[in-house]
Amino acid sequence: MPELPPKPSSAPRIRNFSIIAHIDHGKSTLADRLLQATNAVSAREAKEQILDSMDIERERGITIKASAVTVYHRHKPGAGADDLETDFESPAEDASPASHQVRKGDSPESHGDLYMLNFIDTPGHVDFNYEVSRALKACEGAILVVDATQGVQAQTLVNAYLAVNENLTIIPVINKIDLPSARTLEVAEEVEQTLGFAAEDCLLVSAKTGVGIPELLAAICERFPGPREPVTDKLRALIFDAVYDDYRGVIVYVRVFDGRLRVGDKIRMIGTERTFQVTEIGKMTPKPYRLPNGEIGPGETAYVVAAIRSLRDVRIGDTVTLENAPAAEALPGYQPPRQMVFCDFYPATTEDGDGADFEQLRDAVEKLSLNDSSFTFQPVHSEALGFGFRCGFLGLLHMDIVQERLEREGGVQIVQTAPTVSYHVLVRGTDTVTGANGQALKSVDHSSPFYRDVPAGSQLLEVHNPADLPNMGHVIEIREPICKVEIMLPKEYIGDVMKLCLDRRGLYKNQNYVSTSREIITFEVPLAEIIYDFFDKMKGMTSGYGTMDYEVIEYRADNLVKMDTLINGEPVEALALIVHRDKAEFRGRNLLVRLKEQIPRHQFEIPLQSALGGKVIARETIKAYRKDVLAKCYGGDVSRKRKLLEKQKEGKKRMKNVGSVTIPQEAFMAVLDQGD
Amino acid sequence: MAHNTRLNVLPQRDGGIGRATFGSALPAPGGDLEPARSLYIHVPFCFHKCHYCDFYSIVDTQDRQVAYTDRLIGELRALAPYSRGEPLRTIFVGGGTPSLLRVELWERLLRSLDDSFTIVRDDDPCAVGDRPPTEFTVECNPETVTFDLMATLRRGGVNRVSMGAQSFDRGHLHTLERRHDPENVPRAIELARGAGIRRRSVDLIFGIPGQSIEDWERDLDRALALDIEHLSGYSLTYEPGTAMTARLSRGEFARMDEEVEVQMHRAVWSRARSAGMERYEVSNFARIGRGGVSVGAECSHNLAYWRQESWLAAGPSASGHLRTADGTAGHRWKNIPRLDDYLRPADAVGTSPLAEYEPPDPHRAVRERIMTGLRLREGIDPGWLRQACERVRPGSAERVRRSAETMSVRGLLEMEDRRWRLSDEGILFADGLAVEFFEAMD
Ligand SMILES: Nc1nc2c(ncn2[C@@H]2O[C@H](COP(=O)(O)OP(=O)(O)OP(=O)(O)O)[C@@H](O)[C@H]2O)c(=O)[nH]1
Ligand code: SF4
Ligand SMILES: [Mg+2]
Repeated sequence: MPELPPKPSSAPRIRNFSIIAHIDHGKSTLADRLLQATNAVSAREAKEQILDSMDIERERGITIKASAVTVYHRHKPGAGADDLETDFESPAEDASPASHQVRKGDSPESHGDLYMLNFIDTPGHVDFNYEVSRALKACEGAILVVDATQGVQAQTLVNAYLAVNENLTIIPVINKIDLPSARTLEVAEEVEQTLGFAAEDCLLVSAKTGVGIPELLAAICERFPGPREPVTDKLRALIFDAVYDDYRGVIVYVRVFDGRLRVGDKIRMIGTERTFQVTEIGKMTPKPYRLPNGEIGPGETAYVVAAIRSLRDVRIGDTVTLENAPAAEALPGYQPPRQMVFCDFYPATTEDGDGADFEQLRDAVEKLSLNDSSFTFQPVHSEALGFGFRCGFLGLLHMDIVQERLEREGGVQIVQTAPTVSYHVLVRGTDTVTGANGQALKSVDHSSPFYRDVPAGSQLLEVHNPADLPNMGHVIEIREPICKVEIMLPKEYIGDVMKLCLDRRGLYKNQNYVSTSREIITFEVPLAEIIYDFFDKMKGMTSGYGTMDYEVIEYRADNLVKMDTLINGEPVEALALIVHRDKAEFRGRNLLVRLKEQIPRHQFEIPLQSALGGKVIARETIKAYRKDVLAKCYGGDVSRKRKLLEKQKEGKKRMKNVGSVTIPQEAFMAVLDQGD
Repeated sequence: MAHNTRLNVLPQRDGGIGRATFGSALPAPGGDLEPARSLYIHVPFCFHKCHYCDFYSIVDTQDRQVAYTDRLIGELRALAPYSRGEPLRTIFVGGGTPSLLRVELWERLLRSLDDSFTIVRDDDPCAVGDRPPTEFTVECNPETVTFDLMATLRRGGVNRVSMGAQSFDRGHLHTLERRHDPENVPRAIELARGAGIRRRSVDLIFGIPGQSIEDWERDLDRALALDIEHLSGYSLTYEPGTAMTARLSRGEFARMDEEVEVQMHRAVWSRARSAGMERYEVSNFARIGRGGVSVGAECSHNLAYWRQESWLAAGPSASGHLRTADGTAGHRWKNIPRLDDYLRPADAVGTSPLAEYEPPDPHRAVRERIMTGLRLREGIDPGWLRQACERVRPGSAERVRRSAETMSVRGLLEMEDRRWRLSDEGILFADGLAVEFFEAMD
């Protein structure tokens, strides 16, 4: 277990900050440098993006979950650049409090006053934006990282605004200045133009080589304010994150604003009104370090273990207080993350209908939900696919990641249906309406900002499965989520991207100047249009230079209809879609063409049809195949051919039967591809 | 088990680029292996690489023929104990182009075969019952057939030739980049007959880009007019990595329309039948006697493959199979494919290094029997199928039976002479149906 530097008699000054940026601009790499410069990890331990500890983060090279750490640093007031702890202290990991005194040079005190830096590395991807919002609420400052080759991008702006709204102090940092293609000065101007920070206030850094790190450390101590003064002596600590640990249960990350918290305290969550006994308090350094005195006070962040069994027992954003001396009022909390994208997961194999595969999937889903409380799930049954779960996600990347983790960590193989959004359906009458599964459809939560205009004698239902759409005779209107989409791109691509937005039923809002070569355009686009390869199309037409951010702003009614897909005459609900009427025929035809490519030929002809309320609007046919036999099978061919056929057999396991037609898993995703 | 007692565990050589790593070895002869009664020899030389070919062959460099023959003779000597003195039932020399091997090297090879193995000659007075004459086939390229070579082969015990005609149409031969004069085919068959080689077969290919059904029927007529007892008719397969496949994907030509290909299948069935031959495997036809009885014109060597019998393999890239004494499974292997690796080290003795090896696995053996059995006219014995499935996967026999019943309702499988065999329609789906059986077995 690593040791912290000995606490001096006078308490260290505290700085709480987050590192925020557009995806891949170098947040996690910058965090590496801060950890190394402050001797929190030795050069030997340092690996790239040390805080990205999940396998999936390391493989994909992106941060999914925010990580909070605490390091100690010395700074002389007024200094423009600091000495690095590396130069006068032994690495924290191999130092006992005594050996930590072993200096490389003069006394540590001669390098300045002690600062406790609590910082949080955040994810850059839009799907995980709520992680950033949470992190910011626990901080007074934010380092805004901007890639010197890429400049200001969509999430740079979004995250900067989040920080401004929280009244945080921002240090803009231009990173990757070591790259030959760095446009450092231009990018500084962009920062000034779009965010209003003076270009000369930007720090120039290379998180790769370490250039600029001494200046950054000095700026952190100088420019960021310390924690606000306590306003009460009653404990108030904000829960800004929670993770599940197989051995210790839920580990809660808190930021103390008022009062003190000690091991042994009986705590009470103001929101959920649940109580727990604190058994351990510690800090991530980045390894977990249990505080020997077991106590934290105002301004500090720490992790708390309190025998909490399940993530469902805590609410992130809740306030912790003491059971026997409770604070009167909770700290301002968070909006819970909202699931915007839904799809079904079914076990890829359904052997003998004994349901063993479904049980395995259930275990995997429940286990994963302990680690990731931001996806929702509820059991469903489909004629074609059997028993499975309808799951809700923060976005497409999140969906992808959940599927991969279920397959990898849960050892299940999954068939996934095409993602849909959550629709609000206004129906006549107030009686309970049941969906395709016979389960009652949920009403939209009255407290939701999107609950509005529901006349007396009607109700607003939440539908995210086309199969659940009530009888259209009762439907007054179908409303869909509308996003504000901001796209930042080089000027020459504006025409194409505008056309894409308009094609996707977008409404033009405005256009702003970023620099001489780039602009930011704003559209309102239905989310349903965005989840169909909008991002890939936009990336493609801007040669990868365009970046975008989107946020659901409201629900709007439109002429939406349910489109059925029939395979060999049988409707397949997993392929049903809610589409705009004007686009139904086009979408239907594209879907059938994709299906035709995906479904292998059979020994009989297979008709494919798209239909609106029983009326066929598009049709395709998969021709029967006429032969399936290889000419030769001699001595050396036997093994090879057998393996080939065994592979086909395994492939068929991942397929589903609709009547007598075998459909591969990819076909269920065919709906995704607009083909335009 | 035999494969635990390795005879010659081969050194692990470095697996440089393009080189196989080998570490497996053949099980020791004897033990629980049944004696091998068949032998395949691979001769890896060709004039020129045909565009559809995925056999291992190199364009002939005369200088390596001697080294190859030396090494092959050593390998044959090391393989001999696996026959345990039992006479061989079949020998098949394939390639490559075996007829490209120089006559004096053929003489050495034939002598060494006689030294190492027991070969029963056609004129052996004891060639009866359990000691039938050894079926000894050599594949020939019509271009390279000389009377001298045929006579040499005949003297060495060869009694069957398989002539690679492929097509009689110069244009289609050109598409295949197969360089021979079609007029050489009748000449070669005549030379073989004249030299006393009793059994003769011709290979044809159909489905060549640009080939019409009439072209194909003309090829069939010309082949069937020859003095032969056996015909192989293959539909062109685009094997991965061949020039034909590359040309196809470049769009140089289109894949043959499936409907036409099916007609071509039917054409060969009906023409062969009119010529007195019957299909006994997907692509193979043999002369039959009155009342449809076999007169032994089928290629027994190939039947050994399809019935999962034991055969030895010599030469680079050759594949072998040795069945365990109880007959429920077998070792499969493939020799190292590259001639250079096969020849190295210069003083190599014993069996060849292996590129692939699979130990006996009864479950796999059942799948293999189903896969090849479906391709054969003789089909599959339902009693065996039931027992075998039950043995390797208890409870599966009933599922497999149901699957067979369904295929029979679909008109793809029929019960004849108390055996399951594919119908004419079913034979065109032999692969897909094998997969259905595999699924039922799981
Ligand atoms: N040359 C150079 N490369 C850098 C620098 N900083 C980061 N990188 C590289 O940029 C890529 C992205 O870095 P990360 O630190 O993972 O970026 P991030 O902002 O944490 O990304 P997300 O968490 O996915 O949003 C990695 O390949 C880094 O090695 C730098 O200063 N110079
Ligand atoms: S088809 Fe025969 S002759 Fe042609 S390259 Fe292949 S092995 Fe040689
Ligand atoms: Mg990161």
